[in-house]
Amino acid sequence: MGIGVFILRRALVALPTLLLISLLVFTVIQLQPGGFLENMLEDPRVSRETVEHIRRQYLLDQPAWVQYLHWLRGILQGDFGFSFLNGRPVSELIWERLGWTVFLAALTLWVTWLIAIPLGIYTALNRYSPTSTALNFVGYFGLATPDFLLALLLIYLVLASGGTNVGGLFSPQYIDAPWSWAKFKDLLAHLWIPLVVIGLDGTANIMRQMRANLLDALSQDYIRTARAKGLAERVVLWKHAVRNAINPLISLAGLQLPTLISSTIIASIVLSLPTIGPFLYDALLNKDQYVVMALLMLSALLLMVGNLLADILLAWVDPRIRYE
Amino acid sequence: MNRQLWFAICLLVAGLAWAQPKTLPAYTNLGVSTGKAGGSLTLALASAPQTFFYYGAIDAAIQNLANQMFDGLIEYNLANYQIEPALATRWSISENRIYTFELRRNVRWHDGRPFTADDVVFTYTQIVANPEARGGDAANFEGVRVEKLGDFRVRFTLPKPAPAFIHYMRLPIMPKHKLLPFSQEGGKPRAEINTAWPTNVNPEEVVGTGPFRLRSYTPGQQVTLVKNPNYWKRDAAGNPLPYLDQVQYLIIPDSQARVAQFLAGNLGQINITGAEFPDLKRRETQGGPFRVVQFRALFGSPPHIGFNYNAKNPELARLFSNSEFRRALQFAVNRERIIEDVYNGLAERASYGVAPISEWFYPEVVRLQGRYDLNAANAALDRLGLARGPDGIRRLPSGRPLEFTLTYGSNSAVFSAIATILQNDFQRVGVKVNLQGILAANLLATGRGSDWEAILLALGDQPDPELRTPIWKPGGALYYWHQATQPTTPGGPPQFNNFLPWEREIYDLWERAASTTNFTQRKALYDRWQAIAAREAQVIMIAKEYAVGAVSNRYGNYIYSLGVIPGYNPLVLLFQR
Repeated sequence: MGIGVFILRRALVALPTLLLISLLVFTVIQLQPGGFLENMLEDPRVSRETVEHIRRQYLLDQPAWVQYLHWLRGILQGDFGFSFLNGRPVSELIWERLGWTVFLAALTLWVTWLIAIPLGIYTALNRYSPTSTALNFVGYFGLATPDFLLALLLIYLVLASGGTNVGGLFSPQYIDAPWSWAKFKDLLAHLWIPLVVIGLDGTANIMRQMRANLLDALSQDYIRTARAKGLAERVVLWKHAVRNAINPLISLAGLQLPTLISSTIIASIVLSLPTIGPFLYDALLNKDQYVVMALLMLSALLLMVGNLLADILLAWVDPRIRYE
Repeated sequence: MNRQLWFAICLLVAGLAWAQPKTLPAYTNLGVSTGKAGGSLTLALASAPQTFFYYGAIDAAIQNLANQMFDGLIEYNLANYQIEPALATRWSISENRIYTFELRRNVRWHDGRPFTADDVVFTYTQIVANPEARGGDAANFEGVRVEKLGDFRVRFTLPKPAPAFIHYMRLPIMPKHKLLPFSQEGGKPRAEINTAWPTNVNPEEVVGTGPFRLRSYTPGQQVTLVKNPNYWKRDAAGNPLPYLDQVQYLIIPDSQARVAQFLAGNLGQINITGAEFPDLKRRETQGGPFRVVQFRALFGSPPHIGFNYNAKNPELARLFSNSEFRRALQFAVNRERIIEDVYNGLAERASYGVAPISEWFYPEVVRLQGRYDLNAANAALDRLGLARGPDGIRRLPSGRPLEFTLTYGSNSAVFSAIATILQNDFQRVGVKVNLQGILAANLLATGRGSDWEAILLALGDQPDPELRTPIWKPGGALYYWHQATQPTTPGGPPQFNNFLPWEREIYDLWERAASTTNFTQRKALYDRWQAIAAREAQVIMIAKEYAVGAVSNRYGNYIYSLGVIPGYNPLVLLFQR
């Protein structure tokens, strides 16, 4: 089967899945108590009538299924709905925040892999060395510590050592400034905290996976055979063991794509990062339903695209795998 | 002839007087001195603005920003909250319901266009009274006629006297020349006004008369305002205001992150809570380059315990609507401990809807609310026939244990701590409380529903009780603890047959208070109301938190501001040393 047919088939399977997810998400949002309009009433300026007008304007007085179909029809026309909170199309609002979100997530993903894979190989090869033990400890620590706690800890450390870069991506004077060498340095001075906070968890995870996979591969018969026929250890390790050990990690990478949106919510709030995370959080709190729908659907879509990419990559890396 | 000449001269002199900018009082009691022009300040916003149009959303961020970009007809004195002229220089009230305002002359919008009566009429008729403007106030302007009597003269005619009406005149005035295309007058549907000035608007379009104008917005990160060089206010020495050249707002959702940014020197000033006070105060005394300052607040929301008079469990409903029961539990509310432990001493006893520093506050309320006294609580509960079972929990007449759910905001450190203290103390008088934590943002929605028994909720204080009628007048839209009094149809009459006798009394007091503008009469009526509310323990008021702020030593003339209150803006006086 060719790759084109494979992608097409996967896309056809994805459609009903997405539809099902959208229905589920919509139901969950409807079940949430309180709501966007109820919260408005505490303000002395807002009257019942105003709320009723808005309710009608956004079809919130209609039964849930009418709202759902209306939303679905919009999607087919490329309209992802309107944010109640911001009074602007959802797609515009997401677009505004997508740049930094993708930048941060991609950079973190890249740095994570760059660090985790070699460390995983090192700890597998030197199983009982003190360095490995120390690295494993850091790994466990990274897995066990919630990222917001780590963020607060780092902020505290920076403050205690007299630093001033304790959140955001830039110092206030550089936020609106045009790009310059100084602004770039300022970005680097801020960037390491989010990188560590968001990346540590993943690094530890991948490092441990890589270590386990490699240990597993090294104990296989084909490695013994390779050694027995006199291949250089370097070739045995890199060509036979590592290449086999890395396969499961590629599938794992596919699952990481949706974390672009969801995994950094709390860290982004604590670190005041201009990503989609806090935006989604606000939308959830205020029951800004079309924003929530759009973001959760985007997340689901990314998961599917990620899986698809991982499968294609896997087939490319490992000639034994075929599109079936 | 001579007479006419004299008249003309008088008019000319008066005209010159009007053309002059407003000179602020010296405010020496607030520690204000003459500042220095220049410099910039960085503040924090807890959320990104949803719009740049004040009336387009109920949004704390735009309320904060609008205070700097726009002005109302009146404003509050920064020291005593008395009403003072702003865009209106003076006004007269006749027949208790006709308000005539003289407008300030030579005020210019940020784009240089003159401010006139057209803008005022436009703002109130097309925006404030527009029932579809999200942040409008149509209910309070129903039947109000707004007329232009001249380029600098406006008349509001009310259908009936509304004594607190003058407070609504602090709403920000918007530029007709920019917003006409979004209005009904400009040929658009009424809801279209909400789409004015979205967050991706060209900043040049957002013009106000305020001390600062919008320069830029970087989504999710920062809003920058720059000085309006033509602002109409002067300091007591006659220097132009504001002093600062620029005000930046960083968007920082997390309160701990705000404190960290302040300690790092990236923020010039922050508002903090009593819980954050000890740490910052300690750093200050250890030589931190900032001051931590506390003020008694007029605005702000003191928490109370509301009991559902219409609880689903009929036995609980009978108890909750019985003043004897609520009074008994009030004896078990340890306000002193809450003030000490939860607020770190930075709070005081509270009244209903009006702050203790308000002129409307009735001091007897504190005595009527009583003190913490478990023996008195036990005795009162015994008198109700609620005998204790073998497990120490009292029994309802049906024999079931006396227990109820207390709903509170679990994401608020203050609410969680108060809820736990209440649970412990109620347990000691044989009343079992089950805590149910929900998002603080959903508390009011839950209270307005029927699925709750007791709730810890905070509703805001205002400078005039009249402004909080929907909360405190039985049958009002926010009179959530006794929903059987509310009208069956929106706008209909309350269900008087479900009123308790003292609720009827309060209702009548509010009716009378709303029909006169005489301060002494209104004060007496509202005193009486507060006395009844306290005597009947209508809800159990807990405490009113002080306003606490921290300001970097780089700045002078700091006066606390909640930030979101139109008409109260001390930022114009702040300067960088």
